[in-house]
Amino acid sequence: MHSLMRTRWAALTVGLGVFVAACGGTTSAGGPAKASADKQVLRINTGVQPNSLDPGQQSYDYEGIVGRNVFEPLLKPTKDAKDLTGAAATGKPDVSSDGLTYTFHLRDNNWSDGQPVKAADFVYAWGRLLNPCLAAGYADPFYDQTVKGGENYANIDAKDTAACTTYVKTLGLKAPDAKTFVVTLQKPAGYFPYIASLWVGAPVRQDIVEKYGSDKWATVPAQVIGNGKFKVGELVANDHITLVPNSQYKGDQAQLQKFEMFFISDSNTALNKYKNGELDVLNVPIADTDALKADPKFGKQIHTYKSLDTFWYTFNNKTAPFNNPAVRKAFAMSIDRKQLVDKVSHGQYLPETTFTPEGMPGYQGANADLKDLLKFDVTAAKKALTDAGVAPASLTVSLLTRDTTTNKTLNQYIADQWSTNLGVKVNLEVIDSKTVTKRIRKGDFQIYGADGWGMDYAHPQDIFDIQTTGGCHGTQWDCYSSKAYDDLVAKGDAEKDFNKALDDYKAAEKVLLTDAPFTPLYQRPSVDMVQPWVQGITAVTLDESVYTPGDFYTETIYISQH
Amino acid sequence: MGAPSRGGALLQVQRFLGSRGGHLAFYVFKRVLWLVPVLFFVILVTFVLAHAAPGGPWDRNGGRELSDAVRKAKDIKYGLDKPFWEQFVIYVGNVIHFDFGTSLQSEGIDVKDRIFTGWKYTAQIGLLAFLFIVPVGIGTGVIAALRQNTWVDYVVLALSTAGAAVPNFVVGFFLVILLAIIPYKFTGGNFALPVSGPPADDAWFGIDIHYLMPVLTLAFLPIAYIGRLTRSSTLETLRQDYVRTAWAKGLPERKVVIGHVLKNSLIPVVTALGPLFAILVTGSVVVESVFQIPGVGKMFIDSIGARDYPVILGLVIQFALIVAIANLIVDILYVVIDPRIRLE
Repeated sequence: MHSLMRTRWAALTVGLGVFVAACGGTTSAGGPAKASADKQVLRINTGVQPNSLDPGQQSYDYEGIVGRNVFEPLLKPTKDAKDLTGAAATGKPDVSSDGLTYTFHLRDNNWSDGQPVKAADFVYAWGRLLNPCLAAGYADPFYDQTVKGGENYANIDAKDTAACTTYVKTLGLKAPDAKTFVVTLQKPAGYFPYIASLWVGAPVRQDIVEKYGSDKWATVPAQVIGNGKFKVGELVANDHITLVPNSQYKGDQAQLQKFEMFFISDSNTALNKYKNGELDVLNVPIADTDALKADPKFGKQIHTYKSLDTFWYTFNNKTAPFNNPAVRKAFAMSIDRKQLVDKVSHGQYLPETTFTPEGMPGYQGANADLKDLLKFDVTAAKKALTDAGVAPASLTVSLLTRDTTTNKTLNQYIADQWSTNLGVKVNLEVIDSKTVTKRIRKGDFQIYGADGWGMDYAHPQDIFDIQTTGGCHGTQWDCYSSKAYDDLVAKGDAEKDFNKALDDYKAAEKVLLTDAPFTPLYQRPSVDMVQPWVQGITAVTLDESVYTPGDFYTETIYISQH
Repeated sequence: MGAPSRGGALLQVQRFLGSRGGHLAFYVFKRVLWLVPVLFFVILVTFVLAHAAPGGPWDRNGGRELSDAVRKAKDIKYGLDKPFWEQFVIYVGNVIHFDFGTSLQSEGIDVKDRIFTGWKYTAQIGLLAFLFIVPVGIGTGVIAALRQNTWVDYVVLALSTAGAAVPNFVVGFFLVILLAIIPYKFTGGNFALPVSGPPADDAWFGIDIHYLMPVLTLAFLPIAYIGRLTRSSTLETLRQDYVRTAWAKGLPERKVVIGHVLKNSLIPVVTALGPLFAILVTGSVVVESVFQIPGVGKMFIDSIGARDYPVILGLVIQFALIVAIANLIVDILYVVIDPRIRLE
């Protein structure tokens, strides 16, 4: 299966792959002739059924691909993912001079039942998202340091419905008129528009929710009234969901007449289905990479889509020997990442020695100052260990890892690197995923990996906040704590000017790579097979490209004659 | 009528219970009553084991976990913040009222509804496979026994050995390659069986091309098993004195086989069919995975992985019921087939 990394909350439970493509770009004009309407069907595999069709209750990547096509949040990434552009809003919000008030202007659009989309729908939806009694999984970007009043989220008794309702009324959310949505923040946060681009912040209809019930309304496709390009046509439990165009949507209408997502968990079955012409897009399983690339037919259908993600190994900063930065550095510098990428990933991954992934604003991989801090250098690694007074031969460390196929080969490779290059003994602990999580939360490990992060949005705050002080062994597993780093990240987060913020994050990255609480390893693009009749993909590096490239701009996709 | 019955209702009940049919009814009643403690015990063990397994429903498989505040809010929303035994008592109380709760993974989905949707598919392939296994398995077994040590016998033996030795998923993938991938390749995509998926909504009882490969795969091993069982039992019966007598009387082969041999040789086979039926409708986990059929077998595996306690419990209760009922039916069949057996 796949590995661990995923987008922020979106775990790649299904584990396939990666990708995104250079291939992409937009190909709409001048492509091959379009097939007839009944052939405008795109069939992909998301591996898992969405746990909910209520966008506010979603959090995984396999839910996001449904959520943001059936609902439309305020903003979306531009095609180059370097900025944001309007979705339900006409464009980026107005910001008050104190950086505390954000005003979004809504464009004219309809819900799938024909009613107009109103600012009050956003006030209602965000209030639900932040309601502790409803316990939405992806609520924290909206309450943590952002929406005013959200700082009390954790203090509300989630058993007390009245307390929840009162608290929601205190939130900094307002709709002064039908087309204006105003959000007040706890403190300045230049990255806030990126939070507003998350699909979980899409609007929801109060009358529908109240008519069918808070946790029942989204269980029946016909009741899921959305404001996105598609609506839910059919849901066959544990088999597939079919999206069909929302004719009420104002804006570029989808060309696809059916967007089918299957929930196939077995990667062999999915591969057979692709080979049998029953799927149009499929992530290439790592183990099959070489065979498929060599195949005269399928080899030509493989594309690589760059994806904003990053994978690393975590050192337990609280216990010896990894409470010593020199030891962490020595371990980080004794891994040949180039060979790792070739041997373990069959060329699917990209080697990485920095924190911010390639393609992100603020990527430092071309900056010699930073990229060489943890580069592969056995001599320097050995010296660091000796200088720290550690005798490699007497050192035995334990590497904790989740029991997946990809992880096994990865961890064997890394353990071998450490024992060969440093001369230390490495014990591999390959354990079921749930037990691993339990042990990490207790701090019961020395090294854990691979872990990773997929960007939810292309602002460095998304990834830099992970390493700030707090949440030791809770949300922050390595327990890193550095005042210098915290201050720089706080400054970058508050900064309204994006370019100035990038300078802060760059300085923060330097602190981080010098302290090396973890070791960067690789970035994982998505390597996908795409049937030759799928045309017009607009690949964005934030797509859920493991499932299909182009999921932010599905309106450009069409099927050619075949 | 003749003389009025003496002694009234009580005597009638006594008389009924003294009769053969009455014994049976009382026996069934007793067995059904026994289900209550059995189910309670099953729920208790499952509840303890499910909660004792490491991790919980809110854990993610890597990446960043849900924030502590959200986890706490979710625990409260689903009652997982309460003490363990209180959760158990509440659950048992709800089950008595046929309320199996809602899924922890799927917002707002009733466990009963979820299991029922899965059941449709699992029961369909199970029953179709059963209907295929019985004639084919018994037929090949009988033919092999009647033609013992001829090529027919050897072929059946070889096939049934293979059937018993080759795992389900290998059979499944072999069929996929043979009936889907290869034809697709050679007909340029014009002909191939679908690799996976449930049947079309309008298919009568799921009789649809989607089920061909799953049903064949599911039936493979049981056919081998029933075939071998029938063969050995038939061979044994063929050597009995009463069969020799039948031959000596000059009866035609058809009469000897059907009237004297099969009537006796099928007793062990029939008793094996009950458990087999239970296995088929509860145990198609592998086949459901390989062919991506959204039945209860696959649901069971998924719910364990997700620590979706209400779904795990609901499925276990349902499996326990099916196994108990299948065993009960077999016990009753024993009596019907073999009058020497008495139920206590």
